[in-house]
Amino acid sequence: MNISTSDVILLAHAAFGVTGCLAAVCVFVEVLNAQPANAVRIRTGAVVVAVCMAGAWICGGYWYVHFYPAEKALILAGPWPFAHNLFMETKEHLFFITAILAFLLPITTRERLYSNLAARKLVLSVAGLIVITGLAVEGAGAVINHGVKVALLRGASRGSQ
Amino acid sequence: MMKLTAATSGFVLAAAITVLFNTALSCAKDAYTPLKVVMKSVAGHDWTTQGLIDLALFVGLGLIFMSTRAAERIDSSHLIASLIGAVVIAGLGLCIWFALV
Repeated sequence: MNISTSDVILLAHAAFGVTGCLAAVCVFVEVLNAQPANAVRIRTGAVVVAVCMAGAWICGGYWYVHFYPAEKALILAGPWPFAHNLFMETKEHLFFITAILAFLLPITTRERLYSNLAARKLVLSVAGLIVITGLAVEGAGAVINHGVKVALLRGASRGSQ
Repeated sequence: MMKLTAATSGFVLAAAITVLFNTALSCAKDAYTPLKVVMKSVAGHDWTTQGLIDLALFVGLGLIFMSTRAAERIDSSHLIASLIGAVVIAGLGLCIWFALV
C-alpha cells in the first residue's frame, strides 16, 4: 500500500467537509425542535461545523497550493478541461462562502433559540445554506477528480496502443 | 418576532457583505491579472490572500457593526433575507462568471 501525503491531505479535506455538512444537518434538525434542553447540543454542533470547515479550509488550501498544479495540467490536457475551468474555479471561491457561513453559525446559536423565532429562522437559514453550498463544493470535487481520471485513462489507452 | 442581539445582527450583515465581496474579488482578479499578481505577492498565492482578506473583512465588519449597533436597527426578517439573497447572488455569480469567461 502506497498512500502519499498528498492523498492523506486530500482525503482529510473531503472528510472534514462532509463531516461539517453532516454537523450542519444535525444543527438544522435540532433547531426545528429547539428547547432549553438541547441548547448546549445545538451550540456544540455549531462549533463542530466551524471547526470542520476550518479543517477543510486548511487541508484543502495546503493541497491546492502545493499539489494541485500537477493535476491541473493533466485536467487541462485531458478531455474534461471544464473540470478545472468551471468546477475548480467555482469551487475554490464558493468554499469561502461556506466557510464564512460556518464561522457565523456559532455566533447565531448563542441566541435563546427556544424563545426567539427570528433567531431560529436565522440559524435554520445559515445551517441550510451551509449544507447546500457544502454539497455543491463536494460535488464539484467529484467532477474535478473525474477530470483527472479521464485524462489519465486517455493517456493510458494511448500508451497501450 | 423577537429581535436579534447586536452581535448576531452585526455578524450576519458582515457575512452578507463578505460573500458578495468575495465574488466581486474573484471576478476582479480573474479579469485583471495585475491584481492577481499583487495578491499572490502578499501571501504566496492569490487564493490564500483572498481567504485572509475575506476572514479579516468578516471579523472586522462584524466587530464594527456590533459596536456601533448599526445592523441591530434592521428588521430581523430583512436581515435573514439579505443573507440568503447575498449567498444566492454570490454563488450563482461565481458559477456564471467561470462558465462564461
